[in-house]
Amino acid sequence: MTAADYVFWVFATATVVSGAVVVFARSLIYSAFALLFTFFGVAGLYVLLGADFLAATQLLIYVGGILVLLLFGVMLTHRIYDLKLRTEKTQLGPGLIVAAGIFIIFANAALITEWPTVGREPAPTTKEIGRLFLGEYLLAFEAASVLLLVALIGAAMIVRRKKDA
Amino acid sequence: MIGLSHYLIVSAALLSLGILGLLTRRNAVNVLMSIELILNSANVNLVAFSRFGAGNLDGQVFAVFVIVVAAAEVAVALAIVLTMYRLRRTPNLDDADILRG
Amino acid sequence: MEEVLRSLGLFKPEIALTAGLLLVVIVDSIGGAWRNGAVRILSIATLAVALGYAVELQVAGAQGAIFSGMLTVDPLGSFFKIILVLASLLIITAFTFRAARELHGLGQGEFHALILALTLSNLLLAGANDIVMLYLALEMVSITSYVMVAYLKGDRMSNEASLKYLLFGAVSTGGMLYGLSLLYGLTGTTSLPGIREVLATGVPGPQLALYLATLLIVVGFGFKIAAVPFHFWCPDVYQGAATPVTALLSVAPKAAGFGIAVRFFFGTFAVPVTGTWDLSGVIDWQLLLVVISVATMTLGNVAALTQNNMKRLLAYSSIAHAGYILMGIVALSDVGARSLLIYLFAYLFMNLGAFLVVTLVHLHDGTFDLRDYPGLYRRAPLLTLAMGLFMLSLIGIPPLVGFLGKLYVFGAVVNMGSGYYWYAAVGAVNAAIAGFYYLRVLKVMFIDAGNEDKPPLKLAFVDRAWLLFFAAANLLPVLFWSRIDEWARGAVVLYTGR
Repeated sequence: MTAADYVFWVFATATVVSGAVVVFARSLIYSAFALLFTFFGVAGLYVLLGADFLAATQLLIYVGGILVLLLFGVMLTHRIYDLKLRTEKTQLGPGLIVAAGIFIIFANAALITEWPTVGREPAPTTKEIGRLFLGEYLLAFEAASVLLLVALIGAAMIVRRKKDA
Repeated sequence: MIGLSHYLIVSAALLSLGILGLLTRRNAVNVLMSIELILNSANVNLVAFSRFGAGNLDGQVFAVFVIVVAAAEVAVALAIVLTMYRLRRTPNLDDADILRG
Repeated sequence: MEEVLRSLGLFKPEIALTAGLLLVVIVDSIGGAWRNGAVRILSIATLAVALGYAVELQVAGAQGAIFSGMLTVDPLGSFFKIILVLASLLIITAFTFRAARELHGLGQGEFHALILALTLSNLLLAGANDIVMLYLALEMVSITSYVMVAYLKGDRMSNEASLKYLLFGAVSTGGMLYGLSLLYGLTGTTSLPGIREVLATGVPGPQLALYLATLLIVVGFGFKIAAVPFHFWCPDVYQGAATPVTALLSVAPKAAGFGIAVRFFFGTFAVPVTGTWDLSGVIDWQLLLVVISVATMTLGNVAALTQNNMKRLLAYSSIAHAGYILMGIVALSDVGARSLLIYLFAYLFMNLGAFLVVTLVHLHDGTFDLRDYPGLYRRAPLLTLAMGLFMLSLIGIPPLVGFLGKLYVFGAVVNMGSGYYWYAAVGAVNAAIAGFYYLRVLKVMFIDAGNEDKPPLKLAFVDRAWLLFFAAANLLPVLFWSRIDEWARGAVVLYTGR
């Protein structure tokens, strides 16, 4: 194994193990922090895959934005002095069977399928992705800005109390 | 040698963990976290295919849009969860049960 | 640059909607007592302009891929654009804030901005020609819908409905995203025509990944059109949302979902031959859709039998109708696509009419419960007669538009050959079951005694006019049938290039 392979195993293990903690942890706060490591692990996988721009985006938006939002959600929907922050779990047995079945099917599909193997040598992607955003994907880029506008208006409208309307 | 299938299996593991979370957790914030796991698993797929399979950057661009969508979705979701908590003091989905029939 | 300029010329409806959306947001934030009226007029004008541009595209028969293959413009897409913009326009004009009691006292600016944003997203979804755009537009439609369902802040039902909708929707679209990622991996491209080209030559080796991708993508479409078993959100959301929002959701996102489903199943998962399409590759998605369609219509109709809340009843009825409309996709032919267009066109008028009646009864009596409807004929003859017409149209009684929709859909299935006669028969049996609950509504309104002490309903002049409009829209099209048939026939042109 090369050094890069070791790094892969480290990131892959971190991703999957912390993903499991997100699902199994009894406390919401533990889940949230485990999610942090999952996002880091995935960002590491992106780096190994040569997706430098995406890795940075993952850190900025997922860790810096989405995770912080989720933490706000955890804190605002529980009294902070309530240290337990337990979440209720149900149907663990059947859930485990379904999830294991799904894993086996998809892992099997990943192994037996003859995927195309054109491949692409790792190279800096930022410039090329920027060109794609303002070229081929111009419309999607603009549509995403409308989406963010709607989310902004919507979220602000929903949490505002009725009186202020 | 680490190849495409390694990444796809990591992604399959994340997907099944996310689905397990959906099936077993009852807290709305926790369900949102499980959904994030699923979105991340799809993104790992996209980037891995971009590197090993397709050989173009379309997959990475797709992944960026997925992240943007996820951010918008979580913002709206948390607004709704906060309102739910304000209205009935619980983030638990089992208590959301007035719509039936 | 030239590409963008060329694309903008075929993108006018969407540009109008975007401009209108931004103007509404700006005007609403300026404030002042006049803003509600201004926002409303602005929205109506925007939608009217967009409708004009969509009709222009349709008449011109414009075709082509725009924005580097992100979107497709073709007569089929233009037909959907007309239906989608028309639905939003009818909602804003007929279902006013005055008429919808639930919306009293709420801000109008955001509501209209959201409707415009939803319309824009619907148009993008119906024209998507690339899986990136498809996913993005699908999420735009979904996220806008979640916010619209949550519009009644402080109302527990609205809040709960939007949360259920959001979680269910996020899971379904997340699953679909995973399927799309597999499709990208298999074909190496995100463009729908590109994917078709690869699939037409076949995928080497085991097909498991392709099956999984197809299955997951069907989950996403199934969620959008509320097909069984992805329909769970539908009754709760329809009940919890404000009635104008429910009416819009029952028509527009569904139509957009069917629009992209036709494009996807015909244009990507099949290869066009004259007048019909051949399945490409090895996925027999027709069988999968037959199963879903039969389950959808049967479950929708059976569940509707026992409903007393009118919004829930219409929710289950709309699930059943999605089952019929799916027949048009399964047929996988020009006839099938045409029947789908005609059904959606008919469904727009009959369903919005029924929801308008429900809204008006709620405005005056404050109830959605069918058990409060007895004696309505005595108290509001015009309203009751109109409702009768809408119900008969939903059953599919000639000569109303609903009948023509069903005629075309069943005809398309029968056209497929004797192997599918049973499918048409299942549809006919379902239409008969549906007769029970629609006629029950009529029986309660016309025959049952009750509410003797309540005074007659005093409908506003505008509301009467709109009831007459919807009644006419259900009755009269049969007179112009050959022209509508011709229009739909001309609209079944899919542009399948890059």
